[in-house]
Amino acid sequence: MSQQQTVQTILLHFSELFLLCKVMGIYPQNWKVFQRYHDLKKSNVGVLFVIFVMLAIVVLYNLLIFSFSEEDSTLKASQSTLTFVIGIFLTYIGLIMMITDQLSAIRNQKHLGEIYDRIRKVDERLYRIGCVVNNSVLELRIRIMIALTFVCEITIMIAAYIVLLDHTKWNSLLWIFSCLPTLYNSLDKIWFSTTLYALQQRFAVINRALEDMVQVHERYKAMMAHRKRSGSNNMVKNKNVINDILFDLGHEESLKLNYLQNELRGSGLAGKLGKNRVKPVITVANSMNNFNQFQSIKKQPTKSAINIHYESELSNVSRVEDKLNDFCQLHDEICEIGKKLNELWSYSILVLMAYGFLIFTAQLYFLYCATQDQPIPSLFLSAKNALITATFLLYTAGKCVYIIYLSWRTSLESKHTGICLHKCGVVADDNNLYEIINHLSLKLLNHSVDFTACGFFSLDMETLYGVAGGITSYLIILIQFNLAAQQAKDAASSHGTNDPSQISNGADNSSEDVNDYSTALTTLMTSTASTIITASSSALN
Amino acid sequence: MPFDRLNARSNIFDYIQMYIIPTFYIICYGLINFGSFGIAHNPSCDSVCRLGNALIVHLGCFLYLSMHALNLWRRKKFFIVFENSLQDIDENLRRCQAVSGGDMDGKPKKKRKYLFYGTWIVVILAFTASFCYDVKELVHYYHEYFFITLMVSNFPYSAASVMLGQFIYFVSEISQRFEKLNELFEKINAESDRKHIPLMIFDIETDAKKDMPPNQQLRQRHLTATNEESDELNDDLESFYDTETIPDDGPTSESNLPELFKLHDKILSLSVITNAEYGPQSVPYMAVCFVITIFGIFLLTKVFFVVGGKSRLLDYVIILFMVWSLTTMVVAYLVLRLCCNANSFSKQSAMIVHEIMQKKPAFMLGNDLYYNKMKSFTLQFLHWEGYFQFNGIGLFTLDYTFIFSTVSAATSYLIVLLQFDMSSILKSEGLL
Repeated sequence: MSQQQTVQTILLHFSELFLLCKVMGIYPQNWKVFQRYHDLKKSNVGVLFVIFVMLAIVVLYNLLIFSFSEEDSTLKASQSTLTFVIGIFLTYIGLIMMITDQLSAIRNQKHLGEIYDRIRKVDERLYRIGCVVNNSVLELRIRIMIALTFVCEITIMIAAYIVLLDHTKWNSLLWIFSCLPTLYNSLDKIWFSTTLYALQQRFAVINRALEDMVQVHERYKAMMAHRKRSGSNNMVKNKNVINDILFDLGHEESLKLNYLQNELRGSGLAGKLGKNRVKPVITVANSMNNFNQFQSIKKQPTKSAINIHYESELSNVSRVEDKLNDFCQLHDEICEIGKKLNELWSYSILVLMAYGFLIFTAQLYFLYCATQDQPIPSLFLSAKNALITATFLLYTAGKCVYIIYLSWRTSLESKHTGICLHKCGVVADDNNLYEIINHLSLKLLNHSVDFTACGFFSLDMETLYGVAGGITSYLIILIQFNLAAQQAKDAASSHGTNDPSQISNGADNSSEDVNDYSTALTTLMTSTASTIITASSSALN
Repeated sequence: MPFDRLNARSNIFDYIQMYIIPTFYIICYGLINFGSFGIAHNPSCDSVCRLGNALIVHLGCFLYLSMHALNLWRRKKFFIVFENSLQDIDENLRRCQAVSGGDMDGKPKKKRKYLFYGTWIVVILAFTASFCYDVKELVHYYHEYFFITLMVSNFPYSAASVMLGQFIYFVSEISQRFEKLNELFEKINAESDRKHIPLMIFDIETDAKKDMPPNQQLRQRHLTATNEESDELNDDLESFYDTETIPDDGPTSESNLPELFKLHDKILSLSVITNAEYGPQSVPYMAVCFVITIFGIFLLTKVFFVVGGKSRLLDYVIILFMVWSLTTMVVAYLVLRLCCNANSFSKQSAMIVHEIMQKKPAFMLGNDLYYNKMKSFTLQFLHWEGYFQFNGIGLFTLDYTFIFSTVSAATSYLIVLLQFDMSSILKSEGLL
């Protein structure tokens, strides 16, 4: 039970986020239980509250759409059915996204608690093995993400309100509700991404533990070699050997160098005095023991002093087997948790990706329309201003890219475990160990996490590359349609006047259009590329 | 251009240089855009020319700034780590070569060398040609101020190419190591081929083991020399005697195997580090190369073939496009080729190990150890394959499939672009 006090559930760090989600009606779980036991428990009142909030937002959102629809009707009358249809279709996808999030939150409310329970159990086992996971990073990340979300949402909303809307009308205040769906979605995704990050941390901890084992063993081997040399050589050389070891160790643990030096000097002195020629080596072992406390290095005093047995963990096959087995089971468990997590959020992620793709394309398209002085649907008002559009696009792209990037990193990290495992084997170079490792490695090969969106596509960077290409080509197609419609309209109007000079004028206009279009195209292409690159490089940070 | 120093405590001058030149570049960029030095402000510049110029200038700016930011962001430590581990690997390789006792013949190397120098000459020629052409044209227009425009139109691309050239250099180093490793593996393979009578040799080995107790000192020396295989006394002993007792049969080098496996692992992790450092840089470079090439082809077919030679400035801009699309494509191709080579070399060694396993050479009969070792190696390689390939932050893998995907994407964009009717624009500009 003492471990339970040292290993706390990661939900401890989620409290602010949970409070926020609870108040805003995203998550239905019981707040009091969470406060007291840091546990997610099902709550019927919470469900009712979430449904109520959902309905209220749907109603208000529709109100917003209707209040703004006067302009839309003029838009419909004016010309471009294409723009109108796109607008109508895309207006509701934000709402759909929010509803999906909330419904899946209601559906998942029981399983979510189980997941965090399982993570806690994994933590406990990790702690028992001797790996401590630093959970405070999670809290920092949550805070940063919440802050970023709010800053982006509020800047977009307020900027759009101040710059683009008519302040005098009362119903312009309804604009506030246009940002609620994305805000809700972002908060929900913060849960997902933080949990995912926690899983990635667990994988990384396992990998680091394996690599630590390798390093310790290498050090141990070097020591053995030195001991052999010192055993065969004269007493006088002992000091040199110690210096060598000191050099080796000092390389790796420069922090404790001073302390070690002092001790070794003392021991070297002892060696000079000629009391016992193996004593220095023992001191080295002791000092090693001092600076990796959790690596238990056993000393078994046997018949002669030379045969004192120093152990790195990797030389004891049966114990190593247990440990590696443990690691593998943990890896399996984390993989399972990852799969479960992915399953719980699969629908909302699918909708989010669809939303990101469509909105990104639409926003750029409407930006183009706005630069051409064509009317655009009222809910995409922000496209009238390039700066607001840029913020909005960065925010949306950042959300999608971050999730994709994180799941990519996690699955890479899980694949890395196999490599680390084999490193152990190569370093120890033992027949039995090789057998164990080969067996476990096959198991790991079959057990990899791949995050998918409902199985439609996998969440990795290659998908992102494909999506970027898709957005560009759709944009080009849309703009071409728009251009064709514009040209047809121009031709019709000039035909109506029946004036030859007008026709040539129209041709000139269209040529100007082409020119404008190609500049717009280039800027769009570069801007798409640059947004993606900046987003990914920022995510790399 | 950013220079990299290998020493850890690089003095302040390196850093100053790394900051001065970008600021100089940004000043020039500002002058071009807001001052009167830009090509766009030239009276003879028409709309197509302006479009092309704006595109090349802004793309260059984006490319240079992003790559330079990544360069600055890269830790100085990387170069030191790379150099150290490379030396380590080289040393180990040399030791292994000494154990296997063979000197590799230099004929194929010579051929490779020619190829190597050939590619470098081509690249350098392309760069100098573009540079000279640029200077000549710009001097014609701006006389003594030509360097300002040159700074903007030429510099970012060449700087980016040089940065990617570093990547090429590192990858080629890595693939060379892989090749050497493969030679060693191949040698073991050939030896196991030669010795068809495994049982006999095994007997000799065991005999030797019994007969030579006074060889202790020798063993001691060997141990201190290799310094690593202390765990496997017996095994080491065996292989060691093997090399000692049967020199006529050609020195057997299977004692190298664990060392070689370790080396393979090290080289792969080295390439992971390299890729982590240079992969992000390759992304903007590839994107810019793609855009420049598409627009270069577009302008060439739609403008240059129609009205080439009528306006010198227009020709200059279009040729600028062509030159830079060619050079960037060459550099990108080199990157892809080398990455692909390195990948295939690393794969090849796994194949060779499998071959050795199938032949069941002498040293494998005695114990399961070697069998397990090799199996573990190949399994590890499977893990590596899933974990790592040269890529640009996961967006695309740097191999020939990338060429295919870009070419197909470029075709579809080109089809869209070629549908534009440029003749009216050209007519309105008075060129047709």
